[in-house]
Amino acid sequence: MGFIFLMNGGILDNPPDVVLFFGRFHPVVVHLPIGFLIMAILAQLATRWPKFKPLELYLPLMWLMGAFSALLAVIFGYFLSLSGGYDEDTLFWHQWGGITVMLLSFGCYFINKKSSDSLTIPKWISVVIVGLLLMFTGHMGGNLTHGSTYLLEYAPNPIRNIAGLPSKVEPRKKVTVLDSADVFLDLVLPMMQTKCVSCHNEGKNKGGLLLTSYGNMILGGESENTIIPGDALKSELVRRITLPTEHDDFMPSEGKLPLTDPEVLMIKWWIKIGAPSDGFVTELDTEKAVSSLVSNYLGLDKNNLFNKKVPPPNRSIVDSLIRHGFVINPLMKDNYFLEANFSLSEYDLEASDLDVLLELKEQLVWLNLGNSDLKDANLEKIGLLQNLVKLDLRGNEITDNGIKHLSKLENLESLNLYGTKVSKGIVDLVPKLTRLKKIYLWQSEVSKETITQLEEQNPGLTVIFERD
Amino acid sequence: MSHHHNTKPRVISRREMLGLSAGGFGSLALMSLFGTIPLGCKRPGSLESASNLYLGPHYLPKAKNVIFLYMDGGVSQVDSFDPKPRLAKENGEDPRKKFKVDATQFDNVGKILKSPWDFKQYGECGMPVSDLFPHIATCVDDIALIRSMVSNFPEHTNANYFLHTGSGLQGRPSMGAWMNYGLGSENKNIPGYVVLDGGLVPPGGLDNFKNGFLPASYQASVFKAGPEPVANINPREGIKSLQEEKLQFIKQLDNSLIGKIGEADAVESAISNYELAYKMQSSIPELTEFKEETEATKKLYGMDSDDPNLRGYASQCILARRLIERGVRFVELTCPNVGPGVDRWDQHSNLKKGHEKNAHAVDQPIAGLLKDLKSRGLLEETLVVWTGEFGRTPFAQGSDGRDHNPSAFSMWMAGAGVKGGTIFGKTDEYGYRVIENEVTVHDLHATIMHLLGIDHKQLTFRFGGRDMRLTDVHGNVVKDILT
Repeated sequence: MGFIFLMNGGILDNPPDVVLFFGRFHPVVVHLPIGFLIMAILAQLATRWPKFKPLELYLPLMWLMGAFSALLAVIFGYFLSLSGGYDEDTLFWHQWGGITVMLLSFGCYFINKKSSDSLTIPKWISVVIVGLLLMFTGHMGGNLTHGSTYLLEYAPNPIRNIAGLPSKVEPRKKVTVLDSADVFLDLVLPMMQTKCVSCHNEGKNKGGLLLTSYGNMILGGESENTIIPGDALKSELVRRITLPTEHDDFMPSEGKLPLTDPEVLMIKWWIKIGAPSDGFVTELDTEKAVSSLVSNYLGLDKNNLFNKKVPPPNRSIVDSLIRHGFVINPLMKDNYFLEANFSLSEYDLEASDLDVLLELKEQLVWLNLGNSDLKDANLEKIGLLQNLVKLDLRGNEITDNGIKHLSKLENLESLNLYGTKVSKGIVDLVPKLTRLKKIYLWQSEVSKETITQLEEQNPGLTVIFERD
Repeated sequence: MSHHHNTKPRVISRREMLGLSAGGFGSLALMSLFGTIPLGCKRPGSLESASNLYLGPHYLPKAKNVIFLYMDGGVSQVDSFDPKPRLAKENGEDPRKKFKVDATQFDNVGKILKSPWDFKQYGECGMPVSDLFPHIATCVDDIALIRSMVSNFPEHTNANYFLHTGSGLQGRPSMGAWMNYGLGSENKNIPGYVVLDGGLVPPGGLDNFKNGFLPASYQASVFKAGPEPVANINPREGIKSLQEEKLQFIKQLDNSLIGKIGEADAVESAISNYELAYKMQSSIPELTEFKEETEATKKLYGMDSDDPNLRGYASQCILARRLIERGVRFVELTCPNVGPGVDRWDQHSNLKKGHEKNAHAVDQPIAGLLKDLKSRGLLEETLVVWTGEFGRTPFAQGSDGRDHNPSAFSMWMAGAGVKGGTIFGKTDEYGYRVIENEVTVHDLHATIMHLLGIDHKQLTFRFGGRDMRLTDVHGNVVKDILT
């Protein structure tokens, strides 16, 4: 009885190690009563058939083994509970379920020992209750150890729904076209999941902030201005992610990977338009402020040029170019896309060479005409090479007059104008090159102001204009 | 099998000999398939090569060239790119009480040794870099760092062969040779695989840079530092026509030898080497005199430094850039000899002094190289690889050194197709072993090849009855660090 007193009194706030040592054996010991008692219940049921009547002789022994092992499990279980950290409600039901099972098992032992007919009804009631309680208590124990969602985590949805659990979350399908990108599910939530939820989740909600769902985000954390729809700059979340990285308040903290510039821009934009819970990016972004960023973020700006098959190039054209000093390289095995490089040539570039080059306009995707003494007039022909993805014009005396011919190169992703004489004209050209990702302008005549303008007008573009 | 290599003229003709020795037929046919692609050839039959399984990339490449910054001796990861605060907390304690200590080369396991250098976070990505590399630290947003490299070998020679050739044993083709074999060279006047000798030949010697069973023309050409980077680069003949006639005569003799004994890699490679050597006499002086380089550029690399080792490495880095500008496929830089008393990055003792001297010599030039490549648009098509052959122990060897550690080291890549500002892989709290996303040397090779558009499983060469690969039967591309 002293044991019960201990249990109710809960005086062991600071249990000694030896108690916890035995406590940890609870999961080991607990399976003994489960086995014994199930065996006893089955044997008890079996004795109703004459064939198994002789088992009656062993029933008291079985119940006694079950009862004593249950007692041991209850003691160890109590010890384990002292280590704390268990969900209180579940623990209560598990504990008292276990104690009841133990007491009823002793009861069954005495009833069977007496084997008086007058006790038939209480006997069967006890047996059934022990069986049901055993399952209930065991399940509570499982919930304590593995969490309440463990058992049915992989259950089919109808079963989950019966148990009151929501249907399993299907991983969201990767967006393949910009028009189907959802502002929250495809942009904001994935950013939170990769950069923020490792600290702001249900188990570890730092600063009282949960970033696992839309509702929780809007609810905010300890500071009540986490997200102020329509005002990005007043929103604490934006302030935290845009501080200097060494600032104490900077998020993510502890040297975790910060949000990238495009990510910050997209978050700001999302809050500015009112932090909607859903909606298509293309419909919300009426000013086309972030569409190209989003498309880049979701990897949708991959050029589909390479998906089409091009015919093999004309052999004599290639030979002729090689004779004039071009290096022509195939770029892949299963298609005929080519690279042409004149920058290593010992010959002078002739205007007629570019006419020949035009014959390869379907195949040519990379072109290097660096340091080739190219003139503005030559660029007219280059501008017709519509499949160019990479164009290197460094070190040529070309100007704004020349590069305006390049405006139709809609596949162009990289343009090298380092060491050329281009200047302001670049601002007119770049917006027309819709796929452009990188532009090199070091040692050109583009001014600092123009660079700033270029960067502001084309947020997804990398502009490389200086060396340090 | 090998009579066709015999240089004595024989009575029987080549065809007769082929007919007689059926066994020799296969290998001769292979020679003609692979051996006749001369080095530095502009690959005139590019279209033909496109249909040739062995030339040109398999898929659209990201990188065209590789600059391999080899950190000879093994840089300590916990003192460079993998900070471990726990070492400071437990400095001076017995490592054997903390974790299982593997056998080390010198079996002189000392106490846990904290890093003598502080780490700071740099760039937008916040990558921590130690005070050893203040210049490289300014480039972290272009760098993808792998902290989970492992090697199969705890000793320099084998580890070097492994890193360079994918096998710990001597004699396999070097990765530079494989890449030239796979892609060819763009410049007919300069070899496609150049090693810039900074003063230290890595343990294992020149076999790190050889062609192995690949045709001899794919082996590295080693350029020395100094006024004559390549031996005999200045013609000995005063009159140009004299030299031309002499070469013409040698070629005639060689060709007649081929006529007599059949095609042979050694003779053909000799012919193409003569041709290349002649061309190099005009191309190399232009290349190695930095006449067009501005003072600002030289300063960026550190050519104005007081440290002669730094100046030397700076000029190697400038030369590396000039080589890849000229279409050279693979350039490797070996380390300067910063001695006396300091043996490469291999600080078995006196870690602080040794690592500091080495780092000082290479830090600014490497940062200069990255910045220079980037501003010129070259970083977009050049892969820069920085690595040693293994790492070092988090505990001391003796009192102030660190021994070899193949179970974890850090390396980085920058440039073409690499996601800048990434940190991949994780070591334990001591930086002793990899605990997450292990990357093997085979994986590294597979990734470098992938960036060059080569499927490492498809670039093969039949030798000894087997289709050989740089990655043997291993290698997975490390996709997480790619754009």
